[in-house]
Amino acid sequence: MIQSSLQTKKRRGILGALAFTAVAIGLFWSLAIAPPDAYQGDVQRIMYLHLPSILTAYLSYFLVFVGSALYLWKREKRDDLLAHSAAEIGVLFTALTIIEGSIWGRPTWGVWWTWDARLTLTAILLLIYVGYLMLRSLVEDENRAASAAAVLGIIGFLDIPLIHMSVYWWRTLHQPPSILRPDKVPWENVHPSMLTALAISFAGFLLLYFYLLSLRYRLGEMREEIKARRLDRGW
Amino acid sequence: MALLRETYLLLWKDLLLELRRRDSLLTMFFFGTLLLFVFHFSFDPAPEKVAAMAPALLWLAFLFTGTLGLAQLFHAERENHCLDALLLSPLDRGALFLAKSCFNLVLMVLVEIVVIPLFWILFNLRSWNLLPQLFLVTLLGTVGFCVLGTITSAITLRARARELLLPLVLFPLMIPVILATIRCMENVLRTGEFGDAIPWLRLLIGFDVIFLTVGVLIFDWVIES
Amino acid sequence: MEAWGFVSLAYGIVWGAILVYLILLKRRYMNAAAELDTLKSKEAASDAKK
Repeated sequence: MIQSSLQTKKRRGILGALAFTAVAIGLFWSLAIAPPDAYQGDVQRIMYLHLPSILTAYLSYFLVFVGSALYLWKREKRDDLLAHSAAEIGVLFTALTIIEGSIWGRPTWGVWWTWDARLTLTAILLLIYVGYLMLRSLVEDENRAASAAAVLGIIGFLDIPLIHMSVYWWRTLHQPPSILRPDKVPWENVHPSMLTALAISFAGFLLLYFYLLSLRYRLGEMREEIKARRLDRGW
Repeated sequence: MALLRETYLLLWKDLLLELRRRDSLLTMFFFGTLLLFVFHFSFDPAPEKVAAMAPALLWLAFLFTGTLGLAQLFHAERENHCLDALLLSPLDRGALFLAKSCFNLVLMVLVEIVVIPLFWILFNLRSWNLLPQLFLVTLLGTVGFCVLGTITSAITLRARARELLLPLVLFPLMIPVILATIRCMENVLRTGEFGDAIPWLRLLIGFDVIFLTVGVLIFDWVIES
Repeated sequence: MEAWGFVSLAYGIVWGAILVYLILLKRRYMNAAAELDTLKSKEAASDAKK
């Protein structure tokens, strides 16, 4: 037991170091090396944050789904821990995605908020998984909270494609075709170092995500152990 | 099939209880009507605009009224450990899910049958001939609401601040239904037929089928004693 | 605001928030680890008494 936890700690440390390196290089590449976009100028650099953020958010919600399904099936605490940890970090990255999208939108569209499909979708996702976290904290009994959250984790994820469809249809039906769609990035003028910046940023975010996830997961594990030991001794 | 028979039994029990006291039904009905009044004062729509706003206002009214019904959904089981008794019995929990969903559906449909014509009267709308299509869309939307609502009602059963948590969890999940029903109804009111709104109709039906199935399968883990 | 103003705002908020979350997470982690250690030594002590 002690052996494996030291090993995991070491591995986590390496993961953290790798994440830090990738993030640092990604930052440097995104801000200094990649050229400004032909149409959007330097503001386009926000995309090096935005695209990885939304990717990690979706990855998170997939993990919530997997953890929830496994938990309902096998009832093993670790799956519930995975779901909870992924939800918490997912909410963080989703909130950041919205903020990034909003800041990018201000110079691009002239407004801080617009009900375009992407922003709206991300906001809905945030609402769903904030609801997930609230459900967890408001249900008294531990096991009931875990089951309730697991059901929500599954239903929420299954709803996502339906929400996608309905929001995109809603938005495209209302857009007159003559208006320029500034969220369609013209890819013809993409400089290779921009792709590199994006790739490194992706890598950095992904590594960072898994580092945070493993920390949060370990925290959950420790809390479980504390509870179990207390219960054992009646303390 | 045993599932349907069990569903019918449970549904009949709830309907009988409701028939005798009519608490939920009357509350929901009066609340729905009250909302119509409040909307009229708040929006004060000009006659030309009413038809455009009608679907949205109606659906807002039904959402809030339906949430009232959902909060009460498992009330009957709270006393005398009825819920535990149900869970200990060999009844399929999928049947419990179907029965509760149907029960809420019946309540909401009864309310809608009265509130929609009432809306037409209060807001001076002329398009009475379109009501059958609008009822159809409303029915499909209500099914989606009841199905997701029953699951949500069940998982929040033992939560603190339950009355607040239930809509908080339910409403974001309902967005496809809200969008689909309102867009469908708008199209019907504008053009007199479904036409372009058929994809929305399909989305609604798909939504209902998916979550009906998921609900039946997953309800085993939703309610625990 | 100039373009770089928006860029720094975005990058600032994002990495600031991630940093804050990381710090808070670490703090929760340290607290839990400390509590766990205390529990373990308490158990060892009471086991030794027996």
